[in-house]
Amino acid sequence: MKPVTLFTQLIMLGVILLSFPACNGILGNIYDEPFAEEKNEFGFIETDKANNSGTVYIDATSYTRWTYIDFHALIVDSLKITEDMREPENWDIAVHRYDAKTNGASVLETGFTGLSTLKTSGEIPKGDYISDEWTTNKIVVDMSGMMDGKLKYAESYYNRELSKWLFVDTSTMPPAYNPSNKVYVIKLKDNTVAAVRLRNFMDTSGIKGYMTIDYIYPFKI
Amino acid sequence: MQKILVAAFFLAGCCFLVTPVSAQPIVSATVLDSAAYDTLLDEIVVTGTRSPKILKNSPVITKVFTENEIRKVDVTHIGELLQSELPGIEFIYSMNQQVSLNMQGFGGNSVLFLVDGERIAGETLDNIDYSRLNLDNVERIEIIKGAASSLYGSNAVGGVVNIITKTPVDPLHVNFNSRFASSNEQRHGGSISFNTGRLSSATNVQYASAGELKMKNEGVYSKVYGNRTLNVKERLQYNPGDNFKLTGRAGYFFRERDSQVSSKDRYRSFSGGAKGEYAFHEKSNLELAYSFDQYDKSSYLIEDRLDVRNYSNVQHGLKGLYNYSFDTNNTLTIGGDYLRDYLMSYQFKDNGNYLQYVADVFAQYDWTPVEKLNIIGGLRYDYFSDAGISHVSPKIGLMLKQGRFTFRGSYAGGFRAPTLKEMYMNFDMASVFMIYGNRDLKAESSHNFSLSGEYTKQYYNFLLTGYHNLVDNRITTVWNQELKGMQYTNIDKINITGIDVNASARFPCGIGARLSYTFTRENIQMGQPTLSQTRPHAATARIEYGKTWKNYSFNIALNGRALSKLTANEYTSLTSYEEVEEVTYPGYTIWKLSLMQTFRQGINLIVGIDNLFNYVPAYYYSNSPYTTGATFSAGISVDINKFF
Repeated sequence: MKPVTLFTQLIMLGVILLSFPACNGILGNIYDEPFAEEKNEFGFIETDKANNSGTVYIDATSYTRWTYIDFHALIVDSLKITEDMREPENWDIAVHRYDAKTNGASVLETGFTGLSTLKTSGEIPKGDYISDEWTTNKIVVDMSGMMDGKLKYAESYYNRELSKWLFVDTSTMPPAYNPSNKVYVIKLKDNTVAAVRLRNFMDTSGIKGYMTIDYIYPFKI
Repeated sequence: MQKILVAAFFLAGCCFLVTPVSAQPIVSATVLDSAAYDTLLDEIVVTGTRSPKILKNSPVITKVFTENEIRKVDVTHIGELLQSELPGIEFIYSMNQQVSLNMQGFGGNSVLFLVDGERIAGETLDNIDYSRLNLDNVERIEIIKGAASSLYGSNAVGGVVNIITKTPVDPLHVNFNSRFASSNEQRHGGSISFNTGRLSSATNVQYASAGELKMKNEGVYSKVYGNRTLNVKERLQYNPGDNFKLTGRAGYFFRERDSQVSSKDRYRSFSGGAKGEYAFHEKSNLELAYSFDQYDKSSYLIEDRLDVRNYSNVQHGLKGLYNYSFDTNNTLTIGGDYLRDYLMSYQFKDNGNYLQYVADVFAQYDWTPVEKLNIIGGLRYDYFSDAGISHVSPKIGLMLKQGRFTFRGSYAGGFRAPTLKEMYMNFDMASVFMIYGNRDLKAESSHNFSLSGEYTKQYYNFLLTGYHNLVDNRITTVWNQELKGMQYTNIDKINITGIDVNASARFPCGIGARLSYTFTRENIQMGQPTLSQTRPHAATARIEYGKTWKNYSFNIALNGRALSKLTANEYTSLTSYEEVEEVTYPGYTIWKLSLMQTFRQGINLIVGIDNLFNYVPAYYYSNSPYTTGATFSAGISVDINKFF
């Protein structure tokens, strides 16, 4: 057999063999798998007591629940929104989807985009710390009437400064999600200070509403 | 100003039609560079009958774009090409800036797109990924309007678009090309092909990118996402004997969109295939082919640096096609296909997957009893395993030639089987509502009646076509009060009627012109879940002038596209089909001027101004052109082998 003929037949064979891949597809291994353990692990998933810092991971996917975070006791609790709901005895901030409120605290959006740079600045940022306000049209508990312009809201306190951590532009469909990536300093009602930064608002499958929050508490100079 | 230009072109077109025919013989070199885009009547086409046929002898009206025309239009995407030449075709943005087709009342899932006769896997909002259909290495594109399910089965309800890949002819051909546009678009490509007689190969690579484009006024979208696309194709052909041909092909496609700050949308396809063609003798030939196509979607999560797949459609197809010519006037075509269709999707419960098998057989007889008359009849049977649906699609057509006139008439059945998505969807639409599939869906069906008359005389061609479609059981999402969500459902009959008019002329002096107009009336009764969104009037026009010398040629062309305004009724509520409001979408006209120059038959320079008269929508609706005004482009294509 001539070398040229052998060469061409080998190439043809290769192309044909490559054309018969697995039944349900090929090259699945080029993709990543979501972290399996992440789905069940919520709360204070990392704590560094030496540096008073850590990470909180919460499931805020539900429109009908508030998730309460207690930096003092490193506890996370979640409650369904009802007319007679009773909030936990101790908590510092709470998250509903991407909305935030505080337990009598006030919040400042800083220019820092990392907790470490805030820490090395050596001071608690000054500015207009914003307290919560009572709202009747911020906390959406039922989206089903959206297409007809009939959203259902729950009356609630709301902190518009801390809620800037993720701006959701609903003027387009689907909405555009714009995280600020900034550090927020929170002066709690017991005069201690916390600093938080929203690191991510999705889980590793890309589902929105899973919030990863880095924090420093207590934040001391 | 634009109205004046439209009128001028219309008058110019009319003048061409009534001007006495010149006795001057056609100089072939000049004609090749003139407006020979609509009267390529000696072109061989295959899509209308699935056997090679000269265009003027095809009983099915086929629109052909040749390689030369595609180059002159100077576009990156097939949508831009089809819109610029064919009136009544609109590629618009549906939700999340996904590209959606409306071809005279038929959506993307009712127009079948093929590459070398093979189906394309994957869809988003009922449309294939049109970015996969790059225009490099294309020999020609054939388009037939109307139902064609007797040959192509499901989805061939409103038409078929078949992209035919180029087969290498030169012993060696090496090309590099680049194009830049002021709208922050770039395209770079290269191809290497050879033909040794027995063996030929064509390798083609193309990269295209577009930066984010901010709109000038308010609208449904304030910006168009930036994106980048890579397309790699290889096609290898080996002829062991004069009557036997083997073809292997492989392809990779990648597209990325900057849809969110925190994540990017990614789309990939892996495709391949092998085909054997054997000619028993002059009268008969057999084609056997295997094809594979996988289309994946994934989200790249920037923070976690994870590329997570959430959609995969994998299709394996086997195809057999046999043609037998009893004599020059009688040809029998028989064939069959088998398809394994696997779909995993984020729109299924728990990212599940489903599988179905599709099998079909078909036969067509092409009979020319007398020289002036051609009759074609065909029948196809399709079976879908998961839906348990069987469907028979008939076709009968005839063509009568009388002097310079050609008349065509046909009846064709079309259908579209429910997809796995439509049967099994279980998707939470951002907590606003659920969308459910429906296992009891019937196939969409259509009856297409078409009549046309064509007049051809030396430099002129005039074509008038009228058609009527009865579409039954169209599948769409309907609010289901019991489920408190949307559900895929068959809806009542709708009618789509229209007229296409096309006039074109080409002259030995190098001047050419074409004017195309279409009227579409989509009749959907109030109370149906969806109402008409089709513009009634649309037109395209082209005038060009070109000359060829030994080492230099040029072609200057002005293309125009005019769409009438659309006044549509739209429901005020998602859950009720009683109250409507009238919405008017403005009409618009867009012109493009391009100049192509060729040096030493190997260097092509093309410059253009798109949206010449700087049209900017006052409000960007989903069916508005997402332009911010005039854009300038410049491109170069060099055939390296021409200089060695």
